[in-house]
Amino acid sequence: MHFSRKSLGIPYAVFLIAFVLAPLLVLAFYAFTNGQGQFTMANLHSFFGDPNTLGTLFYSFAIACVTTIVCLLLAYPVAYFLAMSRIANKTVVLMLFVMPMWINFSLRITALKEILTVIEGNLAMYPFLNAVIGMTYDFLPFMILPLYTTISKIDGNLREAAMDLGADNMRTFLQVTLPLSIPGIVSGVSMVFLPAMTNYVVLDMLYNSTYIMGSLIGSYFAAYNWHGGSMISLILLALICIFTLLTGSGEEETARGGAML
Amino acid sequence: MRNLWIDRVLTLSLAAGILLTSAASGRTVLAEEDDRPEKVVLRVCNWEEYIDLGDWDEEETIELPSADIIGENSMIQDFEEWYYDTYGIEVEVEYSTFGSNEDLYNTLTLGDVYDLICPSEYMIMKLMEEKQLVPLSEEFFDTEDENNYYSRGVSPFIKNIFDTKGIDGEMWGKYAAGYMWGVTGFVYNPEEVTQEQASSWKLLSDPDFKRRVTVKDSVRECYFAAVGALKSDLLTSEEFKNAPDYAQRLEEEMNDTSPGMIAQVQEYLKTVKDNVYSFESDAGKADMITGKVVANYQWSGDGVYTMDQADEDDLELAFTVPLESTDIYFDGWVLYKKGIEEDPAKQHAAEAFINFNSRPDNAIRNMYYIGYTSVLSGGDDPLIFEYADYNYGAEEDEEDTEDYDLSYFFAEDGEESGEYVITAPADQVNRQLSAAYPPEDVIGRSCIMTHFDEQQTAQINRMWINIRCMSIDKVPVWGWILTAAALAGMGVMMGKRIRMMRRIKKKH
Repeated sequence: MHFSRKSLGIPYAVFLIAFVLAPLLVLAFYAFTNGQGQFTMANLHSFFGDPNTLGTLFYSFAIACVTTIVCLLLAYPVAYFLAMSRIANKTVVLMLFVMPMWINFSLRITALKEILTVIEGNLAMYPFLNAVIGMTYDFLPFMILPLYTTISKIDGNLREAAMDLGADNMRTFLQVTLPLSIPGIVSGVSMVFLPAMTNYVVLDMLYNSTYIMGSLIGSYFAAYNWHGGSMISLILLALICIFTLLTGSGEEETARGGAML
Repeated sequence: MRNLWIDRVLTLSLAAGILLTSAASGRTVLAEEDDRPEKVVLRVCNWEEYIDLGDWDEEETIELPSADIIGENSMIQDFEEWYYDTYGIEVEVEYSTFGSNEDLYNTLTLGDVYDLICPSEYMIMKLMEEKQLVPLSEEFFDTEDENNYYSRGVSPFIKNIFDTKGIDGEMWGKYAAGYMWGVTGFVYNPEEVTQEQASSWKLLSDPDFKRRVTVKDSVRECYFAAVGALKSDLLTSEEFKNAPDYAQRLEEEMNDTSPGMIAQVQEYLKTVKDNVYSFESDAGKADMITGKVVANYQWSGDGVYTMDQADEDDLELAFTVPLESTDIYFDGWVLYKKGIEEDPAKQHAAEAFINFNSRPDNAIRNMYYIGYTSVLSGGDDPLIFEYADYNYGAEEDEEDTEDYDLSYFFAEDGEESGEYVITAPADQVNRQLSAAYPPEDVIGRSCIMTHFDEQQTAQINRMWINIRCMSIDKVPVWGWILTAAALAGMGVMMGKRIRMMRRIKKKH
């Protein structure tokens, strides 16, 4: 048989069908059926008719938004100065920012727990703050890397041209660098925002007992309600799709930055 | 962009993927089995870290008056050898573990097949009700057979419970052989909390301990504690306690799942949520030791572990059981119908597995490894009582001692009751000993929390979600402003993108 390069895609296609497509169909099946296996929209109605599930969606959304904004505010200056600076071994410095990612996640959060206990006294007093700090700590490198790659790729001549034409530093930044770095911002935001919506382990470990989307889904499965749980997963999936479509650009940057992780 | 999207999908569907693969692996096991019928394959599913894995150091040897005990190989390997030596049949144990009763139930529903599983009492009741279990054989209860270590060695106290408690007119004992047991209570730091304060479930909502007490992240345990706290006055009144039908009434009161009660529990647990340190799934033990919390609502077996660990750090913790009531729990071995029905030889091997784990020396190995208390008293064999005495008895030169009577657990009918008294250091009476073997008055106020039926499960889960989730009505104004800003941000991004696309199109 003739071997074409397309054949190299077969393993991934098999993987995709077995572990992505098939489970997804199962998920959809459960989401739209009831305990007797009949088609129903009740799960969908109960999601949107319940102040608690909507509230949880909001709470997850709030944590994710604040985390993303904090990450962006912290990461942008770092990425900017790193990309602009003339120091010799930039990669080494960059590595320093990425290095925490090489340590096991739960170990990092456990360490953070002890540090926060020293600073705050009683951790349980600040559940929302802790969730944001924990997630920021966890996801910051995902924001720095795409920003760094994008900013360092910006042609220096453009900045110089702006300066030559009389723009001051501030104006150059606002009108040249910032707009050109938007693809990096977009991919950084989507890499932080989406996991921050669902990563309930961080909350659990930092003693925030309010459910976010991930823990809510878990609680449905613990009560043997696979149908309700599947529906919430599906809704979350739909929201994520919408979000990705809205912001879908700059993935090339992500791919490059992601290699370091 | 497509790849990124796929990654997202992948993360979400991971759980579903795991479910599928586990279902598939169950099927391959069956296929292999058909090829080699002469060997019995026994599929056991037990709690994580709930059986001795052997590999002890020499100095870990437990030196008891009647025998020295050491775990060299894993219990599973020892069983396979013992079964071949005793019955001449080769057995291969396929051992898997589960993390919670609900997880186990979900994997069973998905079609995973095991022969022998070890759920807790309420899950046993649920499985019994759904006719998913096979009764233990008559031979299993034959106390003449000296290999029937379970029937010969189970504590009369436990046997009595298993023979009198049941569901749909069938007793647990017909289907289940006990493994480990215990009660729920508070591990507390006596320097911060008095025993009196820790002796009521109301400690959970006590504002004096705001954010300093932690509670299990378990609907059932929280429900029980809440009922205990809400009915505290009734449950501790002399009139109620001295009523002739006290035990039965206690069980009814504690298993109250009427809509009114569920509503009250919901309100109470909302207060608890705002008052406790957290709902913990595993962190409670460590948090007691590091001093983040001063009391932890805990299963007695974990209580022993916490106190042992704290002792190593020279921190003295204590254990007490609330005066209202306590939830007595069991984990027990049951035969799973779908697995056993494939091959009658499996039932024999499964029952032998229970018996081998019930042999007094093996029961001690498991107790040592797990830290929980076995349901076995050992029958004629003194080993298990010797082990309790070895762990908790006072040294000979100890002055401040108290006698601790364990007759209720160890004494067979007609045996002298004075025989099973441990002379323990006085402080042990509030510490490890009382958690490992609760005193008789605690047993007197213990009751079994039955399983929730489908309707109750739905109601109580709803209650739990109401407690744990933030309601949309509680979103503050700044929250809505933030949302609007975020959505606007996304809109701007999208607008930019569309404009960019248009520009690119024009260029071409």
